[in-house]
Amino acid sequence: MMFRTTLRRALTFTLLGLTLATPLTQAADKVELTLYNGQHKEVGDELAKAFEAKTGIHVNVRKGSSNQLASQVVEEGDRSPADVIYTEESPPLNKLGEQGLLAKIDDATLNVLPKNYVANNGTWMGVTARVRVVAYNPKLVDEKDLPKTVLDFAQPQWQGKVGFVPTSGAFQEQAVAIIKLHGKEAAEEWLTGLRAFGKVYSNNMVALKAVENGEVATVLVNNYYWFALQREKGQLDSKLHYFTGGDAGGLVTVSSAAALKSSKHPKEAQQLLAYMASEEGQRVITQTSAEYPLHKGMTSDRGLKPFNELEPPKVTPADLGNAEEALELEREVGLN
Amino acid sequence: MTPSLSASLAAGGYVPRRKRPSIGLLLPVMLLVLLSLLPLFYVITKAWQAGWTEALHLLWRPYVFGLLRNTLMLMTGVTLACGIIGLSLAWLLERSNLPGRRVWGVILCLPFAVPAFVSSFTWVSLSAHFEGLGGAILVMTLSKYPLIFLPVAATLRNLDPSLEESARTLGHNRWGVFFRVTLPLLWPSLLAGSLLIALHMLVEFGALSIIGLQTFTTAIYQQFELEFSNANAAMLSAVLLVLCMALLWLELRVRGKGRHVRTGQGAARQAGQVRLGPWTLLGQLYCLALAVIGSGIPLGMLAYWLAVGTSAAFPASEIGEALLSSLALSLGGAALCLVLAVPVGLLVVRHKGRLAIWAERLPYLLHALPGLVIALSLVYFALHYVPALYQTSGLLLIAYALLFLPLAQAPVRTALNKAAPQLEEAARTLGASSFSAFCRVTLPIIFPALGAAFALVFLDAMKELTATLLLSPTGLNTLATAVWAHTSNVEFAAAAPYAALLIVVSGLPVYLLTTRMYLSR
Repeated sequence: MMFRTTLRRALTFTLLGLTLATPLTQAADKVELTLYNGQHKEVGDELAKAFEAKTGIHVNVRKGSSNQLASQVVEEGDRSPADVIYTEESPPLNKLGEQGLLAKIDDATLNVLPKNYVANNGTWMGVTARVRVVAYNPKLVDEKDLPKTVLDFAQPQWQGKVGFVPTSGAFQEQAVAIIKLHGKEAAEEWLTGLRAFGKVYSNNMVALKAVENGEVATVLVNNYYWFALQREKGQLDSKLHYFTGGDAGGLVTVSSAAALKSSKHPKEAQQLLAYMASEEGQRVITQTSAEYPLHKGMTSDRGLKPFNELEPPKVTPADLGNAEEALELEREVGLN
Repeated sequence: MTPSLSASLAAGGYVPRRKRPSIGLLLPVMLLVLLSLLPLFYVITKAWQAGWTEALHLLWRPYVFGLLRNTLMLMTGVTLACGIIGLSLAWLLERSNLPGRRVWGVILCLPFAVPAFVSSFTWVSLSAHFEGLGGAILVMTLSKYPLIFLPVAATLRNLDPSLEESARTLGHNRWGVFFRVTLPLLWPSLLAGSLLIALHMLVEFGALSIIGLQTFTTAIYQQFELEFSNANAAMLSAVLLVLCMALLWLELRVRGKGRHVRTGQGAARQAGQVRLGPWTLLGQLYCLALAVIGSGIPLGMLAYWLAVGTSAAFPASEIGEALLSSLALSLGGAALCLVLAVPVGLLVVRHKGRLAIWAERLPYLLHALPGLVIALSLVYFALHYVPALYQTSGLLLIAYALLFLPLAQAPVRTALNKAAPQLEEAARTLGASSFSAFCRVTLPIIFPALGAAFALVFLDAMKELTATLLLSPTGLNTLATAVWAHTSNVEFAAAAPYAALLIVVSGLPVYLLTTRMYLSR
């Protein structure tokens, strides 16, 4: 009978579609972790893979921007599906710590990291360090013509020659560092100048490639983007310039991680954090992204400028706080 | 009973009895009305939480004016450019003796096969000069002009030439006839196409984000990345909703007006062709140029990146996974759309009343809602009121249903109009329950239409980007989100295989369906 086949076909279609769209249900007894990853996609994925190979615990990775994921955790509250959050920078986790959403990290984990890169109350830890730099294209500008301080990029002579990424957390940290070092007015002036004379890019890789392709002379980025592009392309035209003498342009920031208080698998979450701080975990991370390992005594083998030769400003992650001032200032000057 | 008999019954002047629609019909419609109002609730809730003064402060600032300027300039520029290209092309291919008209018609609709965010990445990968407003207008015009060209060409083909001939005998020259007779006759289809394009410009996200033009959608996404679901994003959404509703209002006003009726008897003749003579070369060059920049460059660049990308690395398992997720989600979305479209259609066709009027207007309302704002509001409401749905594919399917229901409604409704209710009533008198009567009588009649509706939704859902970005379950990538993730990191070669697959499984079928619908004679 025609209608029966018709009906059966219709039902099969519907059921097929709906079941295919439902994720496979997992066996109930097996613990799985959910990692909110604000770090680079590859870093989170490689880490999850290595951790599963070592412990047998599968990690589901949700990629987003650090600020987005942290705000998401705030909005989710007790219901958050996340167990561990891994961000590009410390301020978002500071914010979560202030709101009492983070669990205290095991002392054994914190002890392998330097004290000044760990939250005072032990709720988050720095994982790797990176340094703010200016990437420049030698065909468009000589290194000797670069300003002594990052503040000078907000001057009219840099019209159309400096790129920046106002939405990136690291840029916002830099803005906070300028507030701490030179006061709010100076920071506002800097942002206003950059908005007037600089070119806005949507993310750091886009900005760096613009320098590499000669579309803009300089961009303010983190050091490791350059090494990532070098690994992809081999030889680069662009070069890195490090600010010295404690200028805000050479700010050192840390990628950070924390376990959520609401996690249903606190033991495994701590296990993942311990792995991230361990020598093995740090090697996995710094092999994927050319950052400085924070594990005491470890050094990077990616050909970075040695960590102890950097001359960063005396602004610690604790000073940077939750960086909300930066976002407010950006809104005031109309950057977003 | 055969469909033709049922159609003749329906045509026989039967007036459906007004009876109370069953709860099974009411529920889906009310649910849909409620869901489509979520964005409004979301904006109000967020503004309430932030405080109205803060909300106003967030709205009334130079940054928002800048976004408004960009959005309106893009919308105007693209709509005008599409109008000019669409109209001239339709005339050239329908009314002139340009050699190779048919082939040109098929070639020049190829942009239908390439999602806008794919063609924009190919342009940006060609040169950074295509970033910004100018590039955005160029790229969007080239990917949207068929939306005007096709309906205008169809209208032009079916126009009765006697109207124009009368004008000629009354002393008008060709240009006079065109502006005083032809253009007014084309106006409805031209306007409908223009409004559709304008609406697309308001809600487009992926392409503009890649081109680097800040409009409301890209700014809302930026706010989402900065602070998840915040008052700022909600306030920008409010402006976007107002703009979309203004267009919707315009469309409703325009729709139905300006119908032209032919009073002559018999079928209209084919219109005579204008001899281009020495202008033929110019016409050919015009078509050639449009083909080269409209589809040649995007497809060529894609082929180039595909060659580069696959030689470097070909992550077959990841590509396979993304393809499977895309297929599964689109199948689910299409199925859900059908489940909702049938009751809505039944309500409209069989139970005229206040709710049916709502159901009637629903698709237009849904069509004007930006996917990004739907997704934002779904995230918010799922998290706070239905946590079981949060970060599940179910929520994403709901978003698909809201976004794509309009596509399913037209064919389903047309088919339901032909399925006479008497047939079901006969089945009822023979002892069938109302559900069983529907399944055994009406369903088989509308089955072909359901298939068409399913295909339309499925194909469009394959290339959905914004809602998928915000709502997909942890760890799930689709072809569209993979293209987006790679292009936003300037990894064009890595994006190419996903983009190519997207064109093969979704773009090409859409292209074939659309061109066949309009170009067949």
